[in-house]
Amino acid sequence: MAVLGKKKRKVSDGVPMSSTADIAFLLLIFFLVTTTFPKDKGLSIVLPEEGEEAQVSQKNILHLIIMPNGIVDVKRGESQQIQQMRPQEIEGLWRQEVTANPNIIAAVKTHPDAPYKYMIDVLDALHSANAVRISLQLLEAN
Amino acid sequence: MSIKGGGFQKSSKASEEIPASSLADIAFLLLIFFMVTTVFQSDRDRPIEWPEAEAAQKIDEKSKNILNIWMERDGQVYINDQGYSMDQVTTVVAPLYAATERALVISIRADREVPYIYMDQVQKALVAAGVARVVFASQLEQKMQRERR
Repeated sequence: MAVLGKKKRKVSDGVPMSSTADIAFLLLIFFLVTTTFPKDKGLSIVLPEEGEEAQVSQKNILHLIIMPNGIVDVKRGESQQIQQMRPQEIEGLWRQEVTANPNIIAAVKTHPDAPYKYMIDVLDALHSANAVRISLQLLEAN
Repeated sequence: MSIKGGGFQKSSKASEEIPASSLADIAFLLLIFFMVTTVFQSDRDRPIEWPEAEAAQKIDEKSKNILNIWMERDGQVYINDQGYSMDQVTTVVAPLYAATERALVISIRADREVPYIYMDQVQKALVAAGVARVVFASQLEQKMQRERR
């Protein structure tokens, strides 16, 4: 029918290409704006200065002794009484202790063979309980 | 210096406009150039299993001021893609720390199974280098995960 009527179509059959650059730029700017790079996460501590040693009275120290099997021995100051706990229970314990004695310091002593993750578990519990006075030590052989 | 209204015809056929059709090409060329030349991280990630912590917080420091110290299970230490022994850590870190005017944050990226003795040695080495701010890098642990354990 088109052939018979000699109708000439004026509509171009190609996709308009002139705006592809604009589309590309729009996409580019969109992704530039929306991209966020993952930031590292972690538990931050401040290391003491070299040679800095603070004298703390024994009654202000809460000893947390981390054993290689992940069990934490809790010892209060001078008393020899040992309470065994799981790392997850430290958070509640710390909240109790800090209300009883605001000057308390957590002395985290880790056994040389204990995996790092157990120390992180305890540090995590202390951070969750908003503890700021933390001392990280290596458990010395008795 | 043509005389106005003179009988001379303007012979210049050059367009007065700046050709704009190649603008996109130039922009893409620049884009690709910067994509190729940009360097993001100076060290590659080492294969470690992350420890998990619920209270893990984002490190609030520019990435150029963060130095990653990788620790593997055998006590091997990697800084900027290079392996070091424990007693070299102080001599490696101290100049880097001084170069950033003591703004450097050390991110200790240790495998979860590293025996703590190595962690203690690294901490002592960092104290000797004068470093103050240290982060134990860990993955964020979800509350649900913890309850299941």
